[in-house]
Amino acid sequence: MQETRASQDELYQRVAREYGPTLGRLAYAYEADEDRRRDLVQEIHIALWRSFEKFGERCSLRTWVYRVAHNVATSHVIRQSRRNGLTFLTLEEAEAEAQHEYVEVPADRERARARLLAVIQRLDPIDRQLMLAYLDGLEAEEIGQITGLSSANVWTKIHRIKNVLSRRFHAGGHDGR
Amino acid sequence: MAGDYLPNDLKVLWQELTTNPVQLTLDDLRKEEGKLRKGIRKRSVVGGGAALIAGVLWAVFFFVFPNVLQRIGSVLTVLGAGYGIIQLRLRPGHVMPDMGETESIRFYRAELERQRDFHCAWWLWSRLIILLPGPVVWMVGSVRAWPKAATLTWWTLATFLILAAIAVPLNLRLARQYQRRIDALDAWQKG
Repeated sequence: MQETRASQDELYQRVAREYGPTLGRLAYAYEADEDRRRDLVQEIHIALWRSFEKFGERCSLRTWVYRVAHNVATSHVIRQSRRNGLTFLTLEEAEAEAQHEYVEVPADRERARARLLAVIQRLDPIDRQLMLAYLDGLEAEEIGQITGLSSANVWTKIHRIKNVLSRRFHAGGHDGR
Repeated sequence: MAGDYLPNDLKVLWQELTTNPVQLTLDDLRKEEGKLRKGIRKRSVVGGGAALIAGVLWAVFFFVFPNVLQRIGSVLTVLGAGYGIIQLRLRPGHVMPDMGETESIRFYRAELERQRDFHCAWWLWSRLIILLPGPVVWMVGSVRAWPKAATLTWWTLATFLILAAIAVPLNLRLARQYQRRIDALDAWQKG
């Protein structure tokens, strides 16, 4: 029991060190309000620590961390949406919306990042996960393990993500493959 | 075009986003976990406590008020409160799949199902069917027992029923929203 607790604590400390910035960014994508975001990050850390009691290396540590973090954040988003209604966009809807808008290139990196966040925060939780995993540089296979999608399906979604991003960040909003 | 962002530039832009690091010691984590457990216990104590108070109150009403309808209403309310307490003790909350072992889509679906079930079906109807009749019959009995206070009692009863009538379609509408999300998610997975 004590051994389990020690390894649970060690795993958590390692993850907090290695994935701290990733978890912080993830919380940004799920919660715009600063106070609620801080609570969400804390909730993710607690869930991770608790989850390591059961971590049996059936998947990679990274896959485990992403799953727990996204699952906590998904519950958070659904709880919040009770007040505002379920008004998320799917990737397909975001793609269609971007097609009809004229887009100006953001003047600086901060504005570009704000626009990126605005795009992400409107997405349905699953599409949001795909977008974040893509932006974090995860491979399609690993994204599949986190989300439960087939590799072929992940590739289709990545293609759509690239389309949405290209249209939102190219002058005129054209497709920039 | 100069100034444009390619998807790979956006990856860099995203990964450069700096956030305030969270510093939670192991002691903090254990304390927070303790608070979480206490919160869950507190919620069931509050729910059970409210049902217990209602049960005791209407049990006293049974002996204080002699009108037959008031007595029937009291019995029904006590039974409803008792059923509520038993449900709280026997039936744990909707069990969610394990976070680390569950892929996001399955977890998302389970979360949507949990919300849908909370707002509709057996849960909603059982709560209303069990809780409503007692107080309603009791109030009708009160009108008979105290005709002078009839207007006030009818108004109270009407407000009570109107609130229940609003709550039902509102809950069902929310349940339909969650079901639509579940259907969309299933369709999304297929292609």
